[in-house]
Amino acid sequence: MTVRRRLAPWGRHAALVAWAALVLFPIFWMISTSFKDAWEWVAWPPHWLPHEPTLHNYRQVFTFTELGRELSRSATDQVFNIWPALRDSVVICSLASLASLLLGTFLAYAVSRFGVGGKNFRYAILTIRMVPPIVIAIPILMYYAIMIPHTTTVLFGARLSLFDTSLGLGLLYTVTTLPFVIWMMLSFIDEVPYTLEHAARLMGAGRIYTIRRVVLPLVASGMVVTFLFIFILNWSEFLLALTLTHPNVTTLPVLLNKFQSAVEGRLYGPQAAIGTVITVPVVVLGILIQKHLVKGFSFGMIRR
Amino acid sequence: MADAHAPTRTAVVPAPARRPRRLAAWLAQERVFRLVPFVLVEGLFLLLLAIPFGLTVYISLLKWRASRPFEQAHFEGLGNYADVLADAEFWWALGRTFYFAAVAVSLELLIGFVLAMLVARTVRGTRVYTTVFLVPMMVVPVVVGYNFSMIYVDSGPLNQLLAPVAALLGVDPRIRWLSHPVAAQWAIILADVWQWTSLTFLIFLSGFAALPRPLVNAARVMGASPWQIFWRVQLPLLKPVIVIAVVIRSMEALKIFDQSVLLTFGGPGNSTQTVAFYLWRQVWQFNKFSFGAAASMLLLVIFAALIYAGIYLLVRQRSVALAEGRG
Amino acid sequence: MARIALRGLVKTFGRITAVAGVDLEIGDGEFVVLVGPSGCGKTTTLNMLSGLDTPTSGEVVIGDRVVNELEPGERDLGMVFQDLALFPHLTVFENIAFGLRVKRVPDAAVRARVREAAEAMRIAPLLDKKPAQCSGGEAQRVALARTIVTKPAVFLMDEPLSSLDAKLRVEMRTELKRLHRSLGATFVYVTHDQAEAMTMADRIVVMDRGRVQQVGPPLSVYSDPANRFVAGFFGVPAMNFVDGEVGTGGQFQAPGITLDLGGRGAVPGSRLALGVRPEHVRLADDGAGWPAAVSLLEPLGDGTLVFLDYGGPASVVAKVDAEEKVAVGDRRRFTFRPDRVVFFDGATGERALR
Repeated sequence: MTVRRRLAPWGRHAALVAWAALVLFPIFWMISTSFKDAWEWVAWPPHWLPHEPTLHNYRQVFTFTELGRELSRSATDQVFNIWPALRDSVVICSLASLASLLLGTFLAYAVSRFGVGGKNFRYAILTIRMVPPIVIAIPILMYYAIMIPHTTTVLFGARLSLFDTSLGLGLLYTVTTLPFVIWMMLSFIDEVPYTLEHAARLMGAGRIYTIRRVVLPLVASGMVVTFLFIFILNWSEFLLALTLTHPNVTTLPVLLNKFQSAVEGRLYGPQAAIGTVITVPVVVLGILIQKHLVKGFSFGMIRR
Repeated sequence: MADAHAPTRTAVVPAPARRPRRLAAWLAQERVFRLVPFVLVEGLFLLLLAIPFGLTVYISLLKWRASRPFEQAHFEGLGNYADVLADAEFWWALGRTFYFAAVAVSLELLIGFVLAMLVARTVRGTRVYTTVFLVPMMVVPVVVGYNFSMIYVDSGPLNQLLAPVAALLGVDPRIRWLSHPVAAQWAIILADVWQWTSLTFLIFLSGFAALPRPLVNAARVMGASPWQIFWRVQLPLLKPVIVIAVVIRSMEALKIFDQSVLLTFGGPGNSTQTVAFYLWRQVWQFNKFSFGAAASMLLLVIFAALIYAGIYLLVRQRSVALAEGRG
Repeated sequence: MARIALRGLVKTFGRITAVAGVDLEIGDGEFVVLVGPSGCGKTTTLNMLSGLDTPTSGEVVIGDRVVNELEPGERDLGMVFQDLALFPHLTVFENIAFGLRVKRVPDAAVRARVREAAEAMRIAPLLDKKPAQCSGGEAQRVALARTIVTKPAVFLMDEPLSSLDAKLRVEMRTELKRLHRSLGATFVYVTHDQAEAMTMADRIVVMDRGRVQQVGPPLSVYSDPANRFVAGFFGVPAMNFVDGEVGTGGQFQAPGITLDLGGRGAVPGSRLALGVRPEHVRLADDGAGWPAAVSLLEPLGDGTLVFLDYGGPASVVAKVDAEEKVAVGDRRRFTFRPDRVVFFDGATGERALR
């Protein structure tokens, strides 16, 4: 073997490790900062690992009471408590993802088995996703904050607004993730041969029975992957939450943003703690479903 | 039914609880299954997307600021659109957005391609590398923005690593990167690259994995060198995948918003204001509702054109692939 | 009695007519094979029989009842699909038991009957496995066990053997015939393979372009075809066709071949096609017959195919004894066995001059 061929694998691994280090570094930095006390945040030269690790940031963030008095200048600033934001994020993301999953799977079944919506439905549905969210944020804002209250006042005499509500944001999250659910579940359902349902029908099974005992077990893992995927999308969503909610409803990304505009300096410690809390579960979930992502992404363009 | 059977068959234990289902009932049920989900989903889209869209068009034709109540707004016609088109800041933001997208996507494609190629060739640790490389994609973009702001801060690790260089140049190493317009722009680009190279890596990795081995073997038998095999066999086969990666990433990169808000809030000055950020400011900071509505309609038109171009490219790739007997 | 009658069955999908009118009577206990090329409508006909497709018009009668309005599950049928349609997430046992569980048969009876069916198909050791762990032949037998366990009166089979390799296919053919004999049920079998049709059927139903071309026992379909399509479909190598016309003297005329038609009433000037199978083409040594040059030889082992160029557009293929001394380039004469020559109308392809 020539020297060149011998060294090549080492060169490859060196490059890959270098990129891996780049990839992991910001996350490492964040986690490390979350354990640092205030004096270490902007120390120079920077401390790669906390010299005095502390749980203070986490304690601050997770406390039940209004905190940050010692840090906040504004007496009414309740911004640093993670629990309301955590609750809002979990509730809205879970329910919206679930609703989207159920509705989308139902439709995907109809499209797969009956060709509902025409031949190109699956591609048409993705075009919805291509519109930049800012372009729909403005219309939705006007819709939620003006048109709906206006209409309900006229019709029912009661002023109902969807602005800054869990329902408002949740509905929007459902609608924006539906295209993905339909796309992904379509591919999973297409993999279940229709002859299985024919066979069941011939043996006397009704449609509900067949779906329950034959189709669902075979797409169950697909449903889990889809759910996790859209959950991650909703969890990370920032723009719509920023524009359509707060202060009544606050999701975690919006909460994190509040720190950026903190009055006096930046509170890197608690921010890092919140960032860690937001990120770690999602990364773990993502790693779980990554095998399926790898499988799906060549779009059948090279060879099926 | 039992009496129609030949006497040699054993009788099945009857199940009296079941009503006999008729074909007509089955077909009726099928109609429900077809229509209900379609109606529900389309209804949701209509209610939540189509109507607001119409509303926005209407508002874009009014002259309305938050300072006055809705009822007082008067019809203005296309004046708002003219205002938007005349606003230099709009064009700057648009141009800047394309610039960010172009640079970021190019880097992502390049690095993602190289990474995928390297990983496809390694024997050991493929799984580990892939898992690690996919992590950035899963980090909440807001957090990414925050992380990078931490790194770029004047006493951050970036400056520490560059300290020897600064010493060489006789400059104070504690540089406030985000206060310099060009550096701030690159900060946003690099944050995007950090996060989304994962996606291009993923796409190319799948592409490499799906390359048919027999073609490469045939080329080797015909005496092609590794370089020739790369250029003449593998790269052309990967073209559809490359197109997909370009289209998907470009569409997303044009929407950069989160980083603009978090890292720099459009600054310093307006130098990192993307068009999404610009739009957001008009409505949420300056409360220029009609102006914002008109701007978002214009943006929609621009994006619709881009989307059509993108779809056209994708569909053409697909039909080329089909014609060549693949997929 | 599981007699089946199909009356005037038509199926259209939009502008496409898949089945253009099928009338068929199938007797109780018969093994009937629907055979034809892809797209001829055989599978659609089977699906209308099973109820998976609804006829555009026409009636399906099973026993003495018109079953058009009945769900497939109510028609007392068993069906084996081309891809077997075994439920991958269930064990072999549960696959077989599926039909019984739907009818809520009590557990003890389920176990007994599944075991009975599994033993009949010799797959009892596989009961705890999943379909993916079974070989092609084993999976076939699981699919069969699944159909026999409900003891239906009629068995439908849609190209069940097409996914098997050649050797397995032959084994399964015998298996199916054996099953048919032991169960005494009516079998309706669909295939595109003419050899399968010939070996398995009591009666063959030949279909093309949505219509029944001919119905009859295998030997009569083979030696007494109703039209050119049926004649060309059966037999390997295929029947030889010579296109020509009827001459003024009432004889068959084609380039290189002239044949006296006797008193068969041929109309002079009409176009006629002659058909003769390779095994009925003889190399004549007695000066009779027509001259030809041997262009190709294909030794089969049990005989030799001799390709004869006689002046027509295509060679005539003769199947001769393996011992016959022939070489490429020989000039020989050939004749046909006179009682085995058939004629078809030159324009319609229908059988003529019976």
